[in-house]
Amino acid sequence: MGAPTSRAAVELHGVRRTYGRGDSAVHALRGIDMALPKGTFTALMGPSGSGKSTFLQCAAGLDRPTAGSVFLGDTEITRLSERRLTELRRSRVGFVFQSFNLLPSLTVLQNVQLPQRLAGGRPDRRQAMELLARVGLADQARRRPGQLSGGQQQRVAIARALITEPEVIFADEPTGALDTGTAHEVLRLLRQAVDRFGGTVVMVTHDPVAASYADRVLFLADGALAGELYRPDPSAVADHLVALTSGREAAA
Amino acid sequence: MRSNGLARASVRFRPASFAGTFLALLFASIVVTACGLLLQAGVTASLGPVRYAGVPVVVTADQNATVVRGHGEDTERESEPLPDAARVDASLARTIAARPGVAAAVPDLAFPVQAAVPEQAAFRPQAAFPPRAAASLPGRNWSGARITSRLVQGGGPAAGQVVVEAATARAARLRVGDAIALTTPRGTRTYRVAGIAAGGGPGIWFSDAEAAALSGHQGQADAIAVFARSGVGVEQLESQVRAAVGGGAKIYTGAGRGTAEHRDLADARDLLTGLGGSFGGIATMVAVFVVLGTVALAIGQRAREIALLRAVGATPRQIRRMVATEAMIVAPIAGGVGVLPGTALATWWFDQLKHRGALPSGLHLTVGWVPPLCAVGAGLLAALAGGWAAARRPAKARPSQALGEAAVERTRPGIARTILGVGALAGALVVAQVAAGASGDQAAEAALGVVMLFMVAVAFLGPLVAAGASVLLGLPMRTAGAPGRLAAANTRVNARRLASAVTPIVLVVTFAGTLLFTQSTMRHAAAAEARDGVVADQVVSSAGPGIPYDTARRAAAVPGVRAAIGVVRTGVLYHGSDVFSDASAIGVSGDPAALPTVLDLGVVRGEVAALRPGTVALDSMVAAAAHVTVGRPIELRLGDGAKIRATVVATYRRGLGVGQVLLPHETVAGHVSAELDGQILIHDAPGADGGAVRRALSGLAPSLVVTDRRGYAAQIDRDAEVNAWVNNVMVAVLGGFAAIAAANTLVMTVLDRRREVALLRLAGTTRRQVLSMMRWEALLVTTAGLLLGAAILAVTLSPFARGTTGGAPYVPPVTALVMGVAIVAGGLAVTALPARALLRTPPATAAAARE
Repeated sequence: MGAPTSRAAVELHGVRRTYGRGDSAVHALRGIDMALPKGTFTALMGPSGSGKSTFLQCAAGLDRPTAGSVFLGDTEITRLSERRLTELRRSRVGFVFQSFNLLPSLTVLQNVQLPQRLAGGRPDRRQAMELLARVGLADQARRRPGQLSGGQQQRVAIARALITEPEVIFADEPTGALDTGTAHEVLRLLRQAVDRFGGTVVMVTHDPVAASYADRVLFLADGALAGELYRPDPSAVADHLVALTSGREAAA
Repeated sequence: MRSNGLARASVRFRPASFAGTFLALLFASIVVTACGLLLQAGVTASLGPVRYAGVPVVVTADQNATVVRGHGEDTERESEPLPDAARVDASLARTIAARPGVAAAVPDLAFPVQAAVPEQAAFRPQAAFPPRAAASLPGRNWSGARITSRLVQGGGPAAGQVVVEAATARAARLRVGDAIALTTPRGTRTYRVAGIAAGGGPGIWFSDAEAAALSGHQGQADAIAVFARSGVGVEQLESQVRAAVGGGAKIYTGAGRGTAEHRDLADARDLLTGLGGSFGGIATMVAVFVVLGTVALAIGQRAREIALLRAVGATPRQIRRMVATEAMIVAPIAGGVGVLPGTALATWWFDQLKHRGALPSGLHLTVGWVPPLCAVGAGLLAALAGGWAAARRPAKARPSQALGEAAVERTRPGIARTILGVGALAGALVVAQVAAGASGDQAAEAALGVVMLFMVAVAFLGPLVAAGASVLLGLPMRTAGAPGRLAAANTRVNARRLASAVTPIVLVVTFAGTLLFTQSTMRHAAAAEARDGVVADQVVSSAGPGIPYDTARRAAAVPGVRAAIGVVRTGVLYHGSDVFSDASAIGVSGDPAALPTVLDLGVVRGEVAALRPGTVALDSMVAAAAHVTVGRPIELRLGDGAKIRATVVATYRRGLGVGQVLLPHETVAGHVSAELDGQILIHDAPGADGGAVRRALSGLAPSLVVTDRRGYAAQIDRDAEVNAWVNNVMVAVLGGFAAIAAANTLVMTVLDRRREVALLRLAGTTRRQVLSMMRWEALLVTTAGLLLGAAILAVTLSPFARGTTGGAPYVPPVTALVMGVAIVAGGLAVTALPARALLRTPPATAAAARE
């Protein structure tokens, strides 16, 4: 098990994740080794049940691997207590989910400030407003999430993910519930977070077009790595996916 | 850690999602406040002296039976209020009067006197007594007149003379020298009015010697009023009286004199503390239970929100804090709002009890701040505990787990939960068996405790039980088309939600059922026993306070009467399941050999006809509790505390309906407050003309009423009326509260399914089918609740019935049917209304809505 290389934002060593026990056990991840360099945008693809979401959750500290270790920067998060892990998530990681991502009881501004509030610090109003301006929602700060469209809500979620200036942003199908136009807006924002602000983004997606915004696409199948593409274009990604899926069908 | 404002934001933004919790807390506060106020009223109940207001020191007998158990340092005193009043030795007055500071020590005694229509009525048609005065007047000894009254006309009474209180005399148009017929415990005779006295309320004074004889308590006094010489203070007087009395009697001064005067105050205290304490305790537990369940449900419905907060960096501690803060915001408001209606409920209850004669009319309900504070505090603690328990799992769970788990419920309950549930179940079964040994009210209270334990078990094992019920009841539902199948599938998968809905229904069924059916079991058994037990041809009762003892002897001499048995009612204490258990008792006069011709007691062993002074017949359950059998002696305390030892000559079954302890009249006489028979049981001679006998009997004494044997049962029912009323109010309060909780929970579970309903509609389910599905689910929920409740009731009531009536529980079919129908109909209604509301939102909007 190698020491973390300082250039990687996220490193996984022999990560396995098994649900259940005995005969009914499901092996979601069967031993993953990989490093995601700082300042890159990685897309994660694969057929349904390939372990994408499990990978993301283990890498982000939302779930604990059954075996193996995960490093976030220099910190081995697999050894942290739940409390320390939460604090680490709060300060060094940002999340964007497909849905259920905003608290309906808080205003847009309050939602963006939520990680800061949870950290116990004084929420920085100026910073939050700057972020809202960056995602084009400065005029919606006092509204509630229920009053916004799906795309607007997802932009608020990105602003919230960025407020703590996280080392890594994890996005789970961020465009899954959006139409093409608004999806482009969201992906542009994620791309911008990498290019202009030097962040690292890991995104799970089904959509080859969405994946084409990334620097690199990793393919997962049956809980193991099954190839990668650098500087992907949508058709190449689609081809690779089709090959993966049909290969699996042939094997079955 | 600073507050992060999350809790405040959720309460302010989504008050609707806290409505359920608020409602549960509100009604909990109402019930707890009301019971707390009654308890406080019971603890602090006091009445100032009225009759003894001008008497500095009052001496009475101890009104408790006391035993000292154990030896040396381990001695333990156990006391129990006497079934009737104890009197003090009248000669004590002379001893007290001999003390230097005492101006006078006056025995005070009262006995019921019934004034018949005066002899001059024929000449003065309007001279009848007003009905109230005719019913009963206290007869008193003339020396006691100085306690409240003074002579205003004429002189004091010699033998055969009376002094009448001025207002009474005016109402009856009586003047000094008039004759008046009075019925006393010693019979009816005519007295001459010697004087008129003012003050002290209605009353008639006899000469001291005559009063002592008429009262039936020769040499005894209800109390001794002690007057001080001028210049002697109350404290000085009290210590002198104490020295004279020794330890043999109770001495009252100041406000305490009210206790000596108002004998019904102790009963009132008992009733109020029983209502507020025992019932209130159960009600509080139910309230806490409901609040715990409701809060848990509300938190459970926010699992996704909590998971999201965890994902964006809220620590488990912060989640728990948020839930706690929400409780701190909602609970005090709901509790505070409930205080007013709670106070109104207590006031209404109190006034009704007073109105029904269960509380002395001078008693008032004082509204203190402690009970409302306790109610609000209990609500807050319950909400905190419920929130803490419910938030524990989602707060601790890994966020990913929580995000996933919200969609499909985990049905397998935790190990700790199962162990606790099985423990409570075992406890309930054991306590149910033990409770079979208790008697009467205690048994009824024990039954409520057993139900409480069962409810704890249901709460812990709820999901398991619900899963079982859904499989069992789901089978027939699957034949009922698509909506039925859907409903069956829903309930099977969402066992936890099903459990949340079933638990409060079980609560309604078990608590209302226990209160109703313990009562109905007792009443039914008593009525049946009275019906079968009284075989007399005629029953003589009195419209006044009672029948003079000698009437029974005279009735026996009426032509056509074979036997006449006078019955005096009282109570006794015996050493049974408790140090002192109480039992109803009757003293019977006349020929013991004739007893079986008027009372068929259902003799188990021995011979009732063998009843003589020094012997007793017992209900077989009393005999069993006291561990005595025929031929063995038993120690009893009579109504006034007198200790007797009697040999058991018979045991019988029909004690609840007739009287649990049967004593010879001679044993009981002299030990009851009103020395009067309650009834005379008549056995006609063969071939006698019933009508003629009846007319002859009713002429024996004033205000006699002659009925057939059902008159005896009616008498018992009148005694139980207040009890039944109190019981019904308890059913209404507890059952109503549980019903509101159940409705509340059902509405909450339906409203939580907005997305599911929208998705069903998008998938092509019609409104009618959705409503039908909801109806099937409601049917399953209510049926499961009814069945589970009925099972718990059966296990609880069987030992209770065995212990108190020796039979099976009696469930009035109509009551059970009404209860069942009301619960099912109510369940369907409170499901249909929110379901219709859900269906009003266009499905696409609802499905797209973020939770």
